[in-house]
Amino acid sequence: MISGARQGSPAGLRRLFAAAMARDLRAFVVPGAEVARARGLDVEAAGLGMTGVPRHASVLLVVGELPAALRRAAAVVYAQMMRPRAVLAAGAGDLSPLPGADVSVGLSQEELEEGVARLRTAFARGAFAPGAAGFEPEMLRARTEYACPMHPEVVQDEPGACPKCGMELVSREAADGGSGPHHGGDHGGANGDHGHGGHGHGGMGFMSMVEMTKDLPRSSDGLPMEWVEAPFGPLFPGLPGGLFLKLTLDGDTVAEASPSACGWASPGPLTGPADALAERLAGIDPLSPASYRVLALRAVEDAAGAGADERTARARAGALERERAASHLGWLSGFAYLIGHRWLARRAAELQLAVLRAEPAGMPGLRAAARSLARRIERTPLLARRLEGIGALPGGTGASGPVARAAGVRTDARCGEGAYRALGFEPVVREGGDALARLRVRLAEIEESLGLAAAAGSLDIPAPRTATGASGAGAATVETPRGTATLRVALSDGEVVSAELEGPSARHLALVGRVAEQRELADALVGVASLDLSPWETAR
Amino acid sequence: MSALAVLAALLAGAYLVAVLEGWSATGRLRPAGPAVSAAALLGRESVVPRRPDRVLFEAAPLLLLVSAVLAAAVLPLSPRLVVADLATGALFVNAALAYVMVALLMAGWGPDAAYAMVAGWRFLGQLLGYSMPIVMAIAAIAMRAESLRNTEVVASQAALPNALYQPVGFAVFFLAAMCLAFLPPFDLPTAPGELAGGVEAEYAGARLAVMRLGRMVLVVALSAAVTVFYLGGWLGPALPPWAWSAIKTLAVAAAMLLAGRYVPRLREAQVLAWWWKLGIPLALLNIFWVGVVLLVAE
Repeated sequence: MISGARQGSPAGLRRLFAAAMARDLRAFVVPGAEVARARGLDVEAAGLGMTGVPRHASVLLVVGELPAALRRAAAVVYAQMMRPRAVLAAGAGDLSPLPGADVSVGLSQEELEEGVARLRTAFARGAFAPGAAGFEPEMLRARTEYACPMHPEVVQDEPGACPKCGMELVSREAADGGSGPHHGGDHGGANGDHGHGGHGHGGMGFMSMVEMTKDLPRSSDGLPMEWVEAPFGPLFPGLPGGLFLKLTLDGDTVAEASPSACGWASPGPLTGPADALAERLAGIDPLSPASYRVLALRAVEDAAGAGADERTARARAGALERERAASHLGWLSGFAYLIGHRWLARRAAELQLAVLRAEPAGMPGLRAAARSLARRIERTPLLARRLEGIGALPGGTGASGPVARAAGVRTDARCGEGAYRALGFEPVVREGGDALARLRVRLAEIEESLGLAAAAGSLDIPAPRTATGASGAGAATVETPRGTATLRVALSDGEVVSAELEGPSARHLALVGRVAEQRELADALVGVASLDLSPWETAR
Repeated sequence: MSALAVLAALLAGAYLVAVLEGWSATGRLRPAGPAVSAAALLGRESVVPRRPDRVLFEAAPLLLLVSAVLAAAVLPLSPRLVVADLATGALFVNAALAYVMVALLMAGWGPDAAYAMVAGWRFLGQLLGYSMPIVMAIAAIAMRAESLRNTEVVASQAALPNALYQPVGFAVFFLAAMCLAFLPPFDLPTAPGELAGGVEAEYAGARLAVMRLGRMVLVVALSAAVTVFYLGGWLGPALPPWAWSAIKTLAVAAAMLLAGRYVPRLREAQVLAWWWKLGIPLALLNIFWVGVVLLVAE
């Protein structure tokens, strides 16, 4: 039996349904498809269909460990899924408040496939059970409050009379839908409270348009409209998992956008043994672990006064470039999904997985594949028109990485590095600063990075133990796939006593308002997605 | 009898279109896919959202299915194989399909959820953009056939199918039909990446199964309409008439489904701008063109 079985005895027609469900498993991936791919998992090849709609999903696939805010959001998604449903955990630790995983596997393709096979058996046998129990997380329980019809400021938890006019208070469902701070957990379906202020305009008698609209906010075009506050994220299929946008919609125009990230909420222990810092830092961002590993190694080396030799630096550059190519391909796949280009979403995902699994010898072949993909994208009808002028940002906005290079800025932390000079590196720069320019920068960088990775000859990240007993302060900078990241560390006797990380996405998150506001909803989302934000690195 | 045969053909067509759609969405051809998916959907729970407009929410999937079936009922598979050969058949197709917009608007409003609501309004916003060209293209068809009866529309194409006689009208009608069936790249009301399913997001289980079936029947009905209006319906050598109708209809459906796989979704503003600035003038030009040709030919 599965934990989310549907009530009913498993007999007759239900047995047929259960067999069909076992063959037709559809997964909602938490934190998102991009994390599964970055970890080298091909969910569809493992036999799971993918959907971004909780109500259409039968499997909640959790990939890797989740911060508490995302676990709460995942519980809300799970509550919206229709029974029979199950949780499949791949390399996930604590899942509460979600129910325990029905099938737990490690983070590898073989294990995922084996897990899907076990899940199929579980569905076929236990999709229906007579004693199936419900699942309702604490934060989804509705709370009733009592308000005065005449004085909107009078709201209390108990029934009674209004202290101002003495009228009997009217009960209603509390607007927050429940207790506790659920960080935008209302993904998709459950956003019932953000609708159109209840149906019907009962009791109004004569409906005067002037009366009805006099207190409504004015749009930029002067028309008064009821504004709707809609949560996009933190598990929205078109955005990176963990990114939360609260959009105030004026019709389908975004009037206000306030972004936040649900990465690791508490500043976890970056302090500790210096030689283990690389391991810890690599764990914070599943989208670019190699970059943070190299960043930590360099910072510790700088603090300990030890430098990496030429071969090590070259191998690290190779690893960084491989990750850049894979990360950009992963972004491309998610972006293509957002803009509804299904062929491209698949093709980019295939290439990303191939790059992640490739040896240096395989890079030239992948480079040719990336070049033909880029050419094909350039020729795609309607694509340039879809992206032109969207999310435009001039240079000098504090951005770095592809966002800055798409606006003609040549700053790149790689320019000053000896290993990159030896490999013949030149930054890719485009003009325009819009979503189209960012796409073009990333396409050119995929090709360039694969070339650099092939030239580097090695993709390992050697981690010599340099910090034993060392003391001092140091800093390092790495050009991650998303921009420049800086780490400052202070060592004392081989221990990290303080570490300060500054990632690119924190700066880019501040640009979301400029990119999204006063845009049509789809254009706003395209603009935000083109920034390639990583919610994981921003919380620290 | 012919009603049953048409209904069976419609269901078979919807199934084949669902197989094709699965292929265009995932890149894998699974002949049993739709049957398995349908059985899985029927076995799943189907809950009503928290504060729905119950009537609209429940009626929307049915209305979508009914309007598609009604449109298909007046389209002939062969001279005999038609449920109702109305004297106003060509116009009836348009009248029946007008309720597709109503169904989607209801599905958007009914669940009281922001994504669905935006999706429903989006589709309403496009209404005039695609429905005007459809009516105008049908008007030009009727001019040549000198009848609105669909069997006579087919018969009028014996010498030359309308796709060649009035290619502009054909292109306009084809694209407007894709827009009406909200197929990619016009899938603004469902928009998986933008609105997480949009009008479909709150439906599950049996209700979702009805909605999906309605969508597939709608694609079949529109493909059959393109076949009848522009590709000479059942006319063709060697094969029996119904086979020609079936082949042409499926080919049109496949073309509609494949077109969207390789292009991004259009922006709402672009869709509107193109229909208003280009689609409607072209549809008018087509009427003028057909009128001139008819006058000259006489």
